[in-house]
Amino acid sequence: MPDILDVIVSRKSIRRYKPDPVPDELIDKVLEAARWAPTGENYQPWRFIVVRDQETRNRIADLARLGSGSRMTAWYCMGHMQERFAGIEDPVKREKVLRFMYSGEVSAFAKDAPVVIAVIGTLMEGSVDVPYDLSAAIENICLEAHALGLGACWVHGPVASTRDARKFKEILGIPTGLGQYKVIAYVSIGWPAEQRKHPRPKKSLEELVFWERFGNKERPRHG
Amino acid sequence: MDKDRYYNHLLFRMEQLLYHELSDCASWKTELIGIDFIQTQDIQGANETEIIDACIAKLKAAGLVKDITYSIGGKGILLKLKVAGCPHMLKEKLLRESGIKPYSCLATNMILDQLIEKLGYATTYVADLAVDEEKGECAIRAAIYATPAKIGEVSDWSKE
Repeated sequence: MPDILDVIVSRKSIRRYKPDPVPDELIDKVLEAARWAPTGENYQPWRFIVVRDQETRNRIADLARLGSGSRMTAWYCMGHMQERFAGIEDPVKREKVLRFMYSGEVSAFAKDAPVVIAVIGTLMEGSVDVPYDLSAAIENICLEAHALGLGACWVHGPVASTRDARKFKEILGIPTGLGQYKVIAYVSIGWPAEQRKHPRPKKSLEELVFWERFGNKERPRHG
Repeated sequence: MDKDRYYNHLLFRMEQLLYHELSDCASWKTELIGIDFIQTQDIQGANETEIIDACIAKLKAAGLVKDITYSIGGKGILLKLKVAGCPHMLKEKLLRESGIKPYSCLATNMILDQLIEKLGYATTYVADLAVDEEKGECAIRAAIYATPAKIGEVSDWSKE
């Protein structure tokens, strides 16, 4: 069995796309990967809405801009964003990045992604694992897209607030009852128009892993 | 039976569980909590001060707060509220004691709801909730966006 660690490690969140269309065969493979994600008791609560229509993607992008921008504008006004990006030494560049963030433009890329896949879960079939199952499916989507040479980005923020999630459902005609379907995220997909030269730093395993019990940093010897 | 105490314990458990499930996103998910009351109150107003004043009057008349004072600044985006005499102070105290920073103000949710419903505001966001248990009041900073164009109109809120 091939080791897919290289696929996992080399994947980056891609937010800039070429306008070239993504063939149906590749989208089918991405959806097939999602369909095979682990799912509690095999409930498979996920449903996928594949969106190529430009007007619909524009509306999703506008919603995303509003959601992220509303929060980040407030965070900037309180000084939180400046702290978060203090590592950018060039003040001009830092301010440009910050403006990109608090304007909400950072999240408006659905309009430029040839394909958006909304990932929703039915709450009406008894599954007790909906958000977790959907997250596993989304990860499969991102990994398969990357393995096919596509770029993808998992986007939760624009559907994070209750009102925005409702607006998102209305855009796509999803029943809006809170007991019907849960919108967890969408994934934008397209041919990458960017190479992420500076991937976000990852915490080391030493920082993240405990052995046998919480807090125990010392790895036990075996054999 | 102290019904306020009983209901505050219910709310505390619900908010504690929501926070455990959603972490800091819990506050974004609870923005509709409380709106059912204010939506039955026939709030009228042609601008934000009239709407906010009308909400405060209804909240006070119903005994849901003793008083709310407010100011609007930050290029019209920052709504600062001070809520005194709210019956949910116990809920906030229980949350703090359990290690969770209080994150949901029902009176604020009501006011923001009416800005959206009655004036068509594009969106709102509760940016900060500070609870002063000794004084028995909460200070809230909320971002209110009348139109999408207001997104990104930044200023320094520490000077407000």
